[in-house]
Amino acid sequence: MKVVILDERCVGHGMCRLACPEMFELSDEDGHAYVTSETVPPDLEAAVDQAVRGCPEQAIVVEA
Amino acid sequence: MDSQEDLKRCPVDFDHESRTHASNWPTEFRELRGKCPVAWTEKHGGYWVATRYQDVVAMAQDDATFSSFKTFDPHSGEVTGGITIPATPIPRGLPVESDRPDWNMFRTYLNRRFAPKAAEARRAKVRKYADSLLNRVIETGEIDLVNEFTGPVPAMTTMELMGLPLEEWREFADPLHEMVFTPKEAPEYPHVIAGVQWIFKRCIETFHQRKTEPLGDDLLSYFAHEKIDGRAVTEEEMLSFCNNIITGGVDTTTALTTHALVYLNEHPEDYRRLQEEPKLLPVAREEFVRFFTPIHGLARNVSRDVEMDGAKMEKGDRVYLAWSAANRDPEVFTDPETVDIARFPNRHIAFGAGMHRCIGSFMARVMFEEMMHVVMVRIPDYRTHPDRARRYTSVGTINGWVDMPTSFTPGPKIETGLVL
Ligand code: HEM
Ligand code: SF4
Repeated sequence: MKVVILDERCVGHGMCRLACPEMFELSDEDGHAYVTSETVPPDLEAAVDQAVRGCPEQAIVVEA
Repeated sequence: MDSQEDLKRCPVDFDHESRTHASNWPTEFRELRGKCPVAWTEKHGGYWVATRYQDVVAMAQDDATFSSFKTFDPHSGEVTGGITIPATPIPRGLPVESDRPDWNMFRTYLNRRFAPKAAEARRAKVRKYADSLLNRVIETGEIDLVNEFTGPVPAMTTMELMGLPLEEWREFADPLHEMVFTPKEAPEYPHVIAGVQWIFKRCIETFHQRKTEPLGDDLLSYFAHEKIDGRAVTEEEMLSFCNNIITGGVDTTTALTTHALVYLNEHPEDYRRLQEEPKLLPVAREEFVRFFTPIHGLARNVSRDVEMDGAKMEKGDRVYLAWSAANRDPEVFTDPETVDIARFPNRHIAFGAGMHRCIGSFMARVMFEEMMHVVMVRIPDYRTHPDRARRYTSVGTINGWVDMPTSFTPGPKIETGLVL
């Protein structure tokens, strides 16, 4: 599974980090999210899925 | 029916500022969401009310169509636009009452100072204020939670962030709280407003003084020294930043923490669970933010004719985005009218949505956690008495408590290095 953040949608709610701190970091500049790696390890797939469902801006996209 | 009214579909008798709404808002919103998700009311000169999650998010994200821009003429008192209904005859807040491209400039200028790392760096100070405030009353067994704790902690944190002297915390905390619930016709209103104006006067004085000193860590020093778009920050802009930061951050965090503490007192099983699983606190925190939505709703100004969920909105119309209604939309949240402290994921929009989303949310989260921690550790058997407390008579802007008598088993003071 791969994950990307759509920068033009992300406004920094930080819910993704709450769901999966291993995969999502928040920038020290503006609080927007970035991923620590595009590839999601299998054991984090469920947490990344929660991040997708928890993002109010629909800014997180995953591909199988 | 004339054509004007034909256009304003779904007319309802609704006023988000009314007492009826304050006591009955979950029901009013449930009905609107089902029947008239974008409804028209004639109150306050006429405005739309949006209650569905999907619509509120769409409008907040479409900042080109739904503008926040405000103008205020201090001579005539005339106001246009802005994010409050009714419009308030005071200068605009920044960045909240600006549109792109200016908003980009203002927000970029502030962002770094509010990012997660900057908020986290203040955690120890927030803890110190909370502990020192509790020291004042811990030996008595009684506290007015709002006026002696959940109000002053955000006030002091904000003062320190701005660079204002902590000794003046009372003069700062009281008017900012009173301003939110004192009706404009009340005899004490002029006194409250004078108190708020005094705070802004202190901001102006400190701003000018900081210009004569080297760049420091506080925001007023940052405004005095750091250029915006290659030029100095004007006094007007500085005041608009202060206005937004102070009014956006103080009573909101107060309301959130008070509501959460009252709720936990009434739900001992949830309280016990949080004590046993402190790791759940951030998840519970987001649920409290969702359920209590301290900023009930805010306005936008329609900049072009547009149709929204069947409502034909016209250029110049105003619309109230009810964050609180969106946060209880059953299409998005299961069992939305109950608190589930383990609810996750939780895509609430109590901090707004789209580009204006709360810049202070990381600060608010730190303040909430520290206040909760101090209460749960130092006065774990606290008892709130909402039957003796007063709610705000209007929840239209902030949904909070005037006061909250609270009792607990007295305990010892602890050393904090700060005596209040
Ligand atoms: C629980 C506490 C808080 C709640 C519920 C809250 C809620 C909100 C909401 C709903 C907005 C969106 C405004 C809009 O869309 O028009 C917002 C924006 C803002 N908030 Fe907060 N806020 C809180 C705490 C804070 C704190 C602690 C600060 C500052 C220290 C702050 C400063 C701001 C500012 C400056 C904006 C404007 C951002 C922009 O326009 O780009 N807020 N807040
Ligand atoms: S939850 Fe969504 S909008 Fe918020 S920081 Fe994460 S990706 Fe960005």
